[in-house]
Amino acid sequence: MDDVTPFLVLSAILFSIGCVGVLTRRNAIVVFMCVELMLNASNLALVAFAKHHGNLEGQVAAFFVMVVAAAEVVVGLAIIMTIFRSRRSASVDDASLLKY
Amino acid sequence: MIAFWVLAPVMVIAALGILFVRKAVHAALLLAVVMISLAMLYAALEAPFLFAVQIIVYTGAIMMLFLFVLMLVGVDASDSVVETIRGQRVLAVMVGGIFAVLLGVIVGQAGIGTAVGLGAANEGGNIEGLAEVLFSQYVLAFEATAALLITAALGAMVLAHRERLVPRETQADRAAARVRAYGEHGDHLGPLAAPGVYARHNAVDTPALLPDGSPAEQSVPTVISNRGTGRPSPSYRDVDRVVGQLQSRRDDQDPATDTVVEGSGSAARGEDA
Amino acid sequence: MNDEFTGPAIEWARLWPLFAVFGTALVGVAVEAFAPRSARCLIQSSVAGVGLAVALVGTVLVALELPERAGGAARGDVTAGGAVVVDGPTVFLWGLLVVVTVGGLLLFAERRVDAGLPVFAGQASLPPGSTAGPGGPGEPSYEDWEHTEVYPLLVFALGGMMLFCASGDLLTMFVALEILSLPLYLLCGLARRRRLLSQEAAMKYFLLGAFSSGFFVYGMALVYGYAGTLNLAGVAVAVRAGGGQEVLLLVGAAMVMVALLFKVGAVPFHSWTPDVYQGAPTAVTAYMAAATKIAAFGAILRFLYVGLGDARWDWAPLLWVVAILTMLGGVVLAVGQTEIKRLLAYSSIAHTGFLLTGVLGLQASGDLAEGQISSLQAVLFYLATYGVATVGIFAVTTLVRDPGGEAGSVARWTGLGRTSPLVAGAFAVFLLSLAGIPLTAGFVGKWSVFASAAGAGAWPVVAVAITSSIIAVYFYVRHIVTMFFADPPEDAPVVVVPSPLTSVTIAVALIVTVALGVVPGPLLDLAGHAGQFVR
Repeated sequence: MDDVTPFLVLSAILFSIGCVGVLTRRNAIVVFMCVELMLNASNLALVAFAKHHGNLEGQVAAFFVMVVAAAEVVVGLAIIMTIFRSRRSASVDDASLLKY
Repeated sequence: MIAFWVLAPVMVIAALGILFVRKAVHAALLLAVVMISLAMLYAALEAPFLFAVQIIVYTGAIMMLFLFVLMLVGVDASDSVVETIRGQRVLAVMVGGIFAVLLGVIVGQAGIGTAVGLGAANEGGNIEGLAEVLFSQYVLAFEATAALLITAALGAMVLAHRERLVPRETQADRAAARVRAYGEHGDHLGPLAAPGVYARHNAVDTPALLPDGSPAEQSVPTVISNRGTGRPSPSYRDVDRVVGQLQSRRDDQDPATDTVVEGSGSAARGEDA
Repeated sequence: MNDEFTGPAIEWARLWPLFAVFGTALVGVAVEAFAPRSARCLIQSSVAGVGLAVALVGTVLVALELPERAGGAARGDVTAGGAVVVDGPTVFLWGLLVVVTVGGLLLFAERRVDAGLPVFAGQASLPPGSTAGPGGPGEPSYEDWEHTEVYPLLVFALGGMMLFCASGDLLTMFVALEILSLPLYLLCGLARRRRLLSQEAAMKYFLLGAFSSGFFVYGMALVYGYAGTLNLAGVAVAVRAGGGQEVLLLVGAAMVMVALLFKVGAVPFHSWTPDVYQGAPTAVTAYMAAATKIAAFGAILRFLYVGLGDARWDWAPLLWVVAILTMLGGVVLAVGQTEIKRLLAYSSIAHTGFLLTGVLGLQASGDLAEGQISSLQAVLFYLATYGVATVGIFAVTTLVRDPGGEAGSVARWTGLGRTSPLVAGAFAVFLLSLAGIPLTAGFVGKWSVFASAAGAGAWPVVAVAITSSIIAVYFYVRHIVTMFFADPPEDAPVVVVPSPLTSVTIAVALIVTVALGVVPGPLLDLAGHAGQFVR
């Protein structure tokens, strides 16, 4: 297994699926899951490139992305919880007071 | 490479599933599938440390957090299929498709030929190698993540924690308050009597009878009495009659307690009917 | 494994303002845990104030000590294993950020504008509308409580921004991006009035911010795939060497730029700006609008100039398009706005476009004519004028109030010039500066970015920029006219007299705005003295 190209193609596909998910899904939690999918896809690309270049920087970067994602999830879910508490709905469409 | 060709279709199908399932829980479970498969791919890409971290942090912590919040929000939470922006979904899928093809082609064609492989970098052990990079080049970023984690903890506290205005009322407080009310206003001290069970009607809308035969109004749940659907206790008349019978019998001859009770019971039953 | 691990050389002498800021935030968290509630607000704000003062002094001291590089064209050091670059532009941005944060801090601590109540929600975890405690009237309630956690959050955000514009590699940049974003997401959701709006703003900002950081990470991965390193200087070396898969670099850089342009609110990625600016507490809006833009432009400049300076002809055309779209989009959408904070949000989008015009003015230092303003100098100066005016103008909007909160609608401001000329006058000056009328700071800023872009041959962009400036003048001046030459409505909003905290912020912003318009020389020289980026 000398070529990491298949891994990169897979990561591109997963990233795009995550992207579409963010744009189409309504439930804020599912939207956020799709963002996590995008981050995971990016991690796969980082790790694959690390193997390609033969240095560990990519793996370290993936590790940092995980740490950041963990912190982001805490804040994000807390925000989603508060908004759910006040309007009993996690749909992003219901959150439409702010319009021009 | 076998691992890749087995896992890749599974991952793509699971990821597509996230787009189409209605229930958020199913999406979360599908995402967990993707993440665990990803961990295996990390192992295949010579990243054993990330393999473990992916399972522990992503699947173990992050996904669990998602599931917890889903439980709080309601597991049944599902998406509406109504489109608020017309054509948005089609457009998004089209854009996404183009994006996927573009990205796939670019990244695939960039292909980059033979990989160097991590044999040399992992020579002294993957974790040691990572530590070397982490604590040399990225030590400042590593320290800075502390700020990130503190912010996250602070944020969760701000948004989710509710501080009490008054100290929590304990059982001892409640007992003391009760005794105080008894001492000041003579309020009933013990627990309230259960309704109807002790009267002739085994029903919650009928007050229980006190030993002297009078109804204990408090024994009926306040909901029922407020709604005005409570029944008056039918027992006054019964009691008078029973007392009358008792006295007449006592006047006659020997009173046997059990027959008295039986008699009064049947009399009352007859009256009710 | 080699047993003798040698840690990287961290030049504490250069980095200590950054650590002072993070340390202040940590002290704030400790105060939150141990100080009694009644004393917390005072302690927190003074801790933050002292920390910021130390950071400001530190920044000045560091600036004075920067060693010269490249024959005086640049000053500064690369430190912490290449992760952080403390050079002239960095220090300039640090100083600017700290000053803007001081303004933000003063607005955060303001209590008098809302009848003695703090700016932030009493208890964010309660659903909107319920501030009462368990007892009812007379019993303790959450009404006069305050989330004093906002002060450490503010300082954390500042720390993230300082790291963001100083980061020498993409990974540090990403971590810093999140450090600055997370506190802002939280702060957006903590408004005392119109809580639903505020929570909605926080959610939108968060979801879109997370989306854009996904793009950052993937872009980072692709750039790493191209260059084999995340270090910007390393990327620059790879770019100069050429070869490899150029397409990876271009797509990766584009995706990183998507995230960065999202943070500054450039046009295809601007949709969050008006919603968040409107929904967030105005003190937070003031801070965020100014500081995020400063930090993110610092990062954009560093990424483009240091990392991709030699691929300039690959990214410049795209950035032309984005700059043109941003300027036109900002001003065209601003024309129809009826809500004051949305109006300012769209105007800030237009300003992003003007700043991008300045970014396009990159030229090799040899190509610069004698006495010509370099693009870096122009952008830094513009950021200073924009940041100060933005904090000032949002501070003024907190003063005009209806019973339920701030008077948001533009119509409510009609005739304000007659009833309270001072407030309306200050507002007008800030508007004129944002419009770029001569004798205000905005004019000099605009002139310098246009000049530098024109010098680099970006004529079409400059033409669009001038056109949209003229459109912008229309709606700024229209607003001023309705303020001064129309009768106030029957139930005119109340103009409150703020505490010295807000007054000082507005006054200083006003003085700086006018002073920079009349005598721009010193600050321009300072920005020019910052020199180039150190690689």
